[in-house]
Amino acid sequence: MTAKDAINTALGVSSGDAMYQLRARRPAFVSGAEACRAAVLHPEDDLDLSPDLRHAVAHRAAAFGANAAFLAGYPAPDAPELHDLAKGGQPSDPGLAALARHTDMIAVTPARASEAHLQDLLSAGFSVSQIIALSELLAQVCFEMRVVHGLSLLRNNTNA
Amino acid sequence: MRDAITRIKIKPLSWTPYLPPVEVADATERQLAAMKVTPSAKKVSPYVRTLVHDPDSYVARTELFNAIMYAEGGLPRQDRELGALGASLVNGCMYCANVHARQHAKLSGPCTTSALYAGRRDALSTRDAAIMDFAEALTVTPPRADQSHIEALRSEGMDDGEIQDLIHSIAIFGWANRLMHPLGHSSDTPRACRKDFRRV
Repeated sequence: MTAKDAINTALGVSSGDAMYQLRARRPAFVSGAEACRAAVLHPEDDLDLSPDLRHAVAHRAAAFGANAAFLAGYPAPDAPELHDLAKGGQPSDPGLAALARHTDMIAVTPARASEAHLQDLLSAGFSVSQIIALSELLAQVCFEMRVVHGLSLLRNNTNA
Repeated sequence: MRDAITRIKIKPLSWTPYLPPVEVADATERQLAAMKVTPSAKKVSPYVRTLVHDPDSYVARTELFNAIMYAEGGLPRQDRELGALGASLVNGCMYCANVHARQHAKLSGPCTTSALYAGRRDALSTRDAAIMDFAEALTVTPPRADQSHIEALRSEGMDDGEIQDLIHSIAIFGWANRLMHPLGHSSDTPRACRKDFRRV
């Protein structure tokens, strides 16, 4: 583990901290979370979903965590259309607009997800493989958001 | 109080994807490796075959999931299962809720799950109530868990290492629920049909 992994960075943890030591007790959680993050942001086979598009979706989902330090770990891309997608806008491109709606629904109200939502993505031109990859990306951000939130409470509590 | 609740036995559900899974015969080398398909082990569940459309994330997530739910030592397994159940109920993933309620009942008997299914939160032990409250507060968006939840877990004797395990077991269901529920539906299926379904 390094103090620079995404979760330690979001928590503001450095290598001498008690929180660093606590996390080091579960090395498979630490390395596993980093491997997952890499697998959804820049996988070996990107299925024609660019790193910028992936970062835009991740930023949009991460913003729902209401945690600036966590959000900073998913910088928004510069390209105007993707920047707009990242920042919660409603893109004019139909594919990006469908992706924006899906991102918001999965991040905030996953219980409302239905088959119709997948049909919307298919109709907007996403392939089955791309829909799976986007689902994993969104869910990974939601996982990491909760690890950071939970550990931040432990950190405050123990002055770790 | 707890004895007044009817003890229920939860029946398994089956899960069916909305999107077409990868057929083993059509799978790429990387997908086959991810599914660990070998000449003697060709059966792969529809769930695995659906997610393996993206082998990179499938492999990474599966390894992390297993580490979190089955790591030795630390928080007892049944408490991890209860965290998973609490998250699944909030996220509306009835399939995950069913699987992890059954796991919990298998590990520690039917009292807790029976109380939850009866809507009798008042009948939970203080430990189970602290776990459920934390699971729910960490699962909503944005997460609302606060120091009071940590204090409640501490007063049940949980140390930081165990709370760290609980945080991860709740959080990984913030992931798994966002796959199982949006990507497929569960149904009550007679045993004979379930066997056939697995064979597909």
